[in-house]
Amino acid sequence: MSFLRIHAQPGRSVSLVLSWFLFASGITAYFYASAARHRDNPDDRVTPTIAQMVQGFRDAASKPAPEHEDLGDAPQTTFARIQSSMLWTDTAATSRRFLISVALLFPAVLIGLHMAMFPYVGAFFLRFFQFFDKIVALSLLPIIFIAFGIDELSKVMLIVIGVAPTIILDTFNLTKSVPSEQIVKAFTLGAGDFAIAYRIAFRQIMPRVLNSIRLNLKSVMLFLFAGEMIAASDGLAIRIRLMQRQMGMDTIIPYVLWVALLLFLVDLGMNLLNRKLHPWFEET
Amino acid sequence: MAGIQIQNVCVDYPVEGRGVRRILNGINLDIEAGEFISIVGQTGCGKSTLLRLILAEEMATSGRILVNGKTRTQPDRTCGYVPQRYSLFPDKTVLANITFGLEVSEFGPFGLFNPARPKRMREFRAEALRYLRRTGLHEADGRKYPHQLSGGMQQRVAIAQALILKPPVLLMDEAFSALDPGTRTGMQRLIKELWRESGTTIVFVTHNTREALCLGTRVVALAKDSTGERGASVALDLSVPHLDFDSNEEEIHRLIREVESATLPVCIPREETATVYN
Repeated sequence: MSFLRIHAQPGRSVSLVLSWFLFASGITAYFYASAARHRDNPDDRVTPTIAQMVQGFRDAASKPAPEHEDLGDAPQTTFARIQSSMLWTDTAATSRRFLISVALLFPAVLIGLHMAMFPYVGAFFLRFFQFFDKIVALSLLPIIFIAFGIDELSKVMLIVIGVAPTIILDTFNLTKSVPSEQIVKAFTLGAGDFAIAYRIAFRQIMPRVLNSIRLNLKSVMLFLFAGEMIAASDGLAIRIRLMQRQMGMDTIIPYVLWVALLLFLVDLGMNLLNRKLHPWFEET
Repeated sequence: MAGIQIQNVCVDYPVEGRGVRRILNGINLDIEAGEFISIVGQTGCGKSTLLRLILAEEMATSGRILVNGKTRTQPDRTCGYVPQRYSLFPDKTVLANITFGLEVSEFGPFGLFNPARPKRMREFRAEALRYLRRTGLHEADGRKYPHQLSGGMQQRVAIAQALILKPPVLLMDEAFSALDPGTRTGMQRLIKELWRESGTTIVFVTHNTREALCLGTRVVALAKDSTGERGASVALDLSVPHLDFDSNEEEIHRLIREVESATLPVCIPREETATVYN
């Protein structure tokens, strides 16, 4: 069993084959099952063929949502048609909520930084956020809808409440891990408390904080989808839910892959941004 | 230049479930302005604690420490500091590390938009390059990040970073301990030269007796007191002749033995401590 050796060194081509093997076998298994089901029942909607999925995605990307089809004449240019398409409007709605939520996580980073740098602020907030972090955000959903209504604010609040405590505590721990020698050194160089907090600690933790936010992007999307599925009129999640009622797997599967692709691109973008902004940071 | 007075300093640390443990007991030490003093002792004898007290990073349980005739409550520009590790800010280039003190002292934490900043920063960078060259580094090294430098180069930058502010006192905590012997000797010669040029008071903590003897104009040994406060360290001001790097090897070895025997646990009646411990 030479492949179960700690010091084994798989070659480049072997690594390539291994890393794509599960993708290839998953896709093959799906299309085998899909073909078999379609042989038995040509109208099968559970496992759409690749042609059906391509058609479903093309329709989503070029036609307006069914609830908007009666709104005036169809746009003429391709760009205008894409802009009013179901996929575009859903992606824009979800992205807007997503970006607002991620932007609202920035104050969470500052809270965590101040908690770690200034003991009074830490004593004030730490226990509260440690407790708050244990509350399952989705269990607060009814309270959030009652308190903030069912419009945009409630969905954003769900994400903030769900993810902010984790980011705060993560930032707190990262700031605490800045070596004390650096803090003392900065004092001896004439830096004051805020200069040390922002010019030393904040700059050193930023790449790791960005990594932490990257790792929490899936949680952000999870809370966003939960909020959208329960109370939204547009967005990727509510579209998947509406399609589920119609057994529209030819649209659901491309939508799921589209969401994964978007999240992958955001993750990739943040990673590249992190490298660009912090060339000194090697862990990225 | 500043002198340091350490007056009857005791330090206790709480030990969980066992009250407190005394680390330093009745330390008295007068360090003249411009002296190069080496503090030597075995691991765990409180050398770094004593340094942190002078730095005002820690407060003594009793007694007081005066730097320039003043007591302080937190580290400041009075004492420069070169620790063994983490001496540079990893997110800043070498030049930015050296100019950081000058910049933050003049412009504060949020001075990025100060109109005078660009001109002053050019002046700071020119000054930093001068210090960079003086510590044996090249201008090209100024653009590098600390992780791109060797350990010895990093400590050279750390010394430049501290000295550019012309601090009255420079505290060095095992600053060369992590370096290989060749680099270490080079750094020792460098710090001695810089001390002669600047006249800064230097307190150099090391567990390396040879280093302590060759660098310091005076050597203070911290030794655990086996009587009285058992386990707490006391300071022994050793009257050893000043050595240089080129001193006779036999003489160096004799003094190393003498100093190392002084750092072994001592057994001295408490009433005699005042005369023996400086």
